[in-house]
Amino acid sequence: MIQPGTSTRGALSRERDVREAYAAHSGELYGFAVRSLGDSGLAEEAVQETFVRAWRAGERFDPRIGSLRTWLFAILRNVVIDLGRARAVRPGVADGGAEPAVEPLDEALQAWQMEEAMRRLGEDHRRVLVETYYRGRPYAEVAAELGVPEGTVKSRVYYGLRALRVALEEMGYED
Amino acid sequence: MKTRNECREWRELLGAHALGHLEGDERAGLEAHLEGCAVCREELAALAPVARMLPHADPSRFGPAPQPPPELGQRIAATIASEEERTQQRQRRRLFGGLAFGTAAAAAVAAVLLLFVFGGDGGEDAAQQVRFANLPEGISIDATLEPHAYGTEIHMYVHGVPSGTLCKVWLRGPKGGSYPAGTFRYRWGDDSDAVLSSALDLSRTRAVVVNTGKRTFIAPVGSPVAALDIAKRGGKRLTSSLTDQQSYSVPVISRRR
Repeated sequence: MIQPGTSTRGALSRERDVREAYAAHSGELYGFAVRSLGDSGLAEEAVQETFVRAWRAGERFDPRIGSLRTWLFAILRNVVIDLGRARAVRPGVADGGAEPAVEPLDEALQAWQMEEAMRRLGEDHRRVLVETYYRGRPYAEVAAELGVPEGTVKSRVYYGLRALRVALEEMGYED
Repeated sequence: MKTRNECREWRELLGAHALGHLEGDERAGLEAHLEGCAVCREELAALAPVARMLPHADPSRFGPAPQPPPELGQRIAATIASEEERTQQRQRRRLFGGLAFGTAAAAAVAAVLLLFVFGGDGGEDAAQQVRFANLPEGISIDATLEPHAYGTEIHMYVHGVPSGTLCKVWLRGPKGGSYPAGTFRYRWGDDSDAVLSSALDLSRTRAVVVNTGKRTFIAPVGSPVAALDIAKRGGKRLTSSLTDQQSYSVPVISRRR
């Protein structure tokens, strides 16, 4: 409870809170920033700006509305848009034509989430999904290569998808 | 009556089915089982959104994710600490009416204290806090001006413009003349004041002008008039208009709501 006369800053106002949030989420935020900006220097700048903005707006974070992770990603998304704008505003770019499209960024976020979920899978599960789904290889061929029955490949596909669902839910994904 | 094991066997095919990989008898058999098994239907429905998301991912990116450099956390902590410190300094400055203490004698300090305790605003010799009002959403600018024998020292704080923006600062004299105070570059995360100086005496300074590339912001010194934002004005043209010995009012191309 905030007492009159004390700091009105909320959840992320103290340096220690920021440090904890950084320890928990910086890896993911940075991973997404690198993916969407395609540049590690810009990604560092984006992550730094995200945490500084989060700290400044600390009192606006309300854990009843959403997770800290979701909030940080929302801030990062805005930072990435701002950086995109800053990059677009260059000599030679016509006025008004520099507005970055928001859609590709949301797609990038979705892609990044799925890739992050894949990274969280066990090697066995990820392997069968890559081989059968992304490479489109027949189950029998994958089974022979792995030295397991075809039924095992199918069940790994099933448990792999389930594990992906759990990983996505952990990341705040809702369908 | 189907057994638990039988159900499990069918269920383990649901992944391949959700991906559209089942064919022939296996597919027909599973579909028949689904007809009569609500649990498996529910499970299939839970896998469907995951299957729909698979095409978004790029399998060449399933390897280890890049990690931020170890010093990034420390850099963020340092930025926040310096901003915190800066905020406290500003609060102190406001509290003390912007007076510079320095090496003043105790008597002078006491006199000055008396002055503001009894409502004095610091007088002409005091530092002045300059407010830029009506700024666009997300941008904040303010400045503190301190009088010196050589002219005026300017502590400039800009936040919210794109990182890397070159900021040019001038002071305006009583006849509208412009006195360059220097330039600095705004960087995200660096929230320290830029310290600049100009030869114009503070007592003769009528306005502070900041150009951030596309925009120019003017804040009057000494009177609480809203700052003007002259948008969409090229830095080059602006510079030449500023060096004209024209009157204080600057043509306003557009004013932000």
